[in-house]
Amino acid sequence: MRRTRRWCGCLVAALCMTSPLWAQDQAQDQPAASADEAGAAGGKPQLKWGLEAKMNYRRSEDNKFPVPFPFTPDQLPVGQTKGFEETVNAGSHIELSGVSLFLDGVWSESLKAHLKLDFISLYERNPTSTGTQTNVDEAWIQFGREGGHALLATHSGIYVRVGKMGKFERQNDRHLESYGLVSTAFNRIEDVGVEAGADLGQHFYVKGSYTSGNPVFMRDPNALAGDNGTPEEVQPLLPHPDPKLKTGVVILYDARVQDIDQKHPQTGLALGWRTADIEGRNGIDIMAWGRERKMAQDGTIQGSAYGTDIDLLNGPLDAFSFAIKNDRKREAGGNLWLYLGGFSFFAQYVDQDLAGLPRTGLEAEASWSFDLPLVWSLGGQQLFPTLAPAVRYSMLDNKFRNPPVTPSPSFSWDWTKIDAGLRLGIVGATDLTVEYANNDFILASGAHRNNNEYLATLHWRM
Amino acid sequence: MRITSLALALLVTGAAVAGAEDLHGTIQLVTKGGKNAATESDVTQAVVYFEPAGGAPPRRAEAPFEMVTRQKQFLPRVLAVPRGARVRFPNQDPILHNVFSVSPGNFFDLGLYNQGPGKEQKLDKPGLVRVFCNVHHSMVAYILVLDTPYYTQPGPDGRFSLTGLPKGPGRLTIWHEQADPWTASLTLPQAQQGPSASPSGSITARVEVVRPRIPPHLNKSGQSYFHSGRDSYQQP
Repeated sequence: MRRTRRWCGCLVAALCMTSPLWAQDQAQDQPAASADEAGAAGGKPQLKWGLEAKMNYRRSEDNKFPVPFPFTPDQLPVGQTKGFEETVNAGSHIELSGVSLFLDGVWSESLKAHLKLDFISLYERNPTSTGTQTNVDEAWIQFGREGGHALLATHSGIYVRVGKMGKFERQNDRHLESYGLVSTAFNRIEDVGVEAGADLGQHFYVKGSYTSGNPVFMRDPNALAGDNGTPEEVQPLLPHPDPKLKTGVVILYDARVQDIDQKHPQTGLALGWRTADIEGRNGIDIMAWGRERKMAQDGTIQGSAYGTDIDLLNGPLDAFSFAIKNDRKREAGGNLWLYLGGFSFFAQYVDQDLAGLPRTGLEAEASWSFDLPLVWSLGGQQLFPTLAPAVRYSMLDNKFRNPPVTPSPSFSWDWTKIDAGLRLGIVGATDLTVEYANNDFILASGAHRNNNEYLATLHWRM
Repeated sequence: MRITSLALALLVTGAAVAGAEDLHGTIQLVTKGGKNAATESDVTQAVVYFEPAGGAPPRRAEAPFEMVTRQKQFLPRVLAVPRGARVRFPNQDPILHNVFSVSPGNFFDLGLYNQGPGKEQKLDKPGLVRVFCNVHHSMVAYILVLDTPYYTQPGPDGRFSLTGLPKGPGRLTIWHEQADPWTASLTLPQAQQGPSASPSGSITARVEVVRPRIPPHLNKSGQSYFHSGRDSYQQP
């Protein structure tokens, strides 16, 4: 009852923040027809394409954490007597980490399509180096108009989006190139299916989805995923595997969709409220959401011999299982977006039950974007137009224990990650982000350990 | 155009005519409530104009007026022009700008253009023209298209003079981008009258600043400046 009252209080407070305060006396001339409308009026779609590339310098600490699993000598590198979870690719490296092609078509405000093809995507590999490299990251068509987060909807309306797309609860304006623990664990990777939603007036909205569902797998939360279960590592005819990319210190996460799985669909629902000033400079958006699906018993993942979903949680040979209780995967969460001029804040809380293994996550990112004075230019555009420091806190609280014998003890480690960085706009859509990730986790013994990383990313888009 | 209450927006402590057709005065910008001087607001950006009741002879618009873009600002920020005037927007920045207005009757969109003499726009309809850049949200300017030749802008001390005004009734307006417009009916030549008369024979106007320097506005397509490009997963 007390909790209900508290929620009611929050709702009343939120309603008090609507129009009279935020949309007060905003002298505003009527804008011209939008670009979308202009496209519709012409009867021809507006087609737009773009290229994006990312290059980074990365310096990763070299850390190893022994795992309580009886590997045979043949399963370990020569001279090694026990297995480890270890930094994926320690040391200093320069990498071309991403190359993507975009294609957008806009027929009208109510009909648009989007395609994103990844040719190189080191950070979203699937999730091993032997997985698919070229990937359709997003491909969807949308009917109707979807209101933006922390923006007033111009009118009530609905939309339906079909294809491969980001989840509606995913943070859509990250200010660092790295990811937080929550965004990696729960909603970093795209899903395939149908999403529909409605704007109910200017402030309220609802969303729902019916999708294939991402298989549960494991990866390191730093930049690169590890080579877990690659053929090189598990091929029995090749003893003493010693892959170039190591396991990583892994957490459970929603991996890339393997195929359109119709047997284990995921349903999602979200309810949200938002308000903003008329120009969208200041705004707030809160959204409660949930997802549920039945997990596969024997899912597979391309590029790895390890299974996904229940198979992964059962451990090697189904003999070292976590204390799973069912085959349901349920998540409930809340998002907050806040914009105050150049300041932006995003927070997400997730409560998950993974086949009876409970865990929660919290992530919050704050950033402030400053316009820099015009000093130099290049090709009609300002050199160094913006500077944006950003800091992100994320944590995973795993409320389950490891089995006594497991090759992946880090599944249950409580974990805190703090990312801090600076994004400098260089020219146009080219920017440089320099950041540091501090990973602090608590081993089963109670000891704290770190696995940290510097990352500098040059991002270019045309 | 809203006419504000004398009590709230402007206190006329005196009104007088130095010569038969001259009008002098001082504008004081004050914070909301009128207790303090609005030191962060620029009084030189005000425009004072007089509209005779019988109409005014049209002022011929000859060479185009200029409003340049420099250091991601419009200069001047406020420009008063007669109806039918042409305004040129030279770009003195080494970067692209896109000057536009969606003000009723004076809609224009000059498109993206680089450093150079810029483009020109004729303004036919009297009224306030809000001018923005579609690339840079902070670029804001105002053009007052006036149907009277009797206008001026005050100096840094807020003092203004309107000279050569016709005799008879008319309306005096003080406009400032951060305030509601103030208007008052006058008859020229005007004798000192009432409790607000000033022995010095000048008008002292206290104008309340009620709006931010950069007003809320959308881009030329009616979209927010701030959310385009926020989504790192979408094209800018």
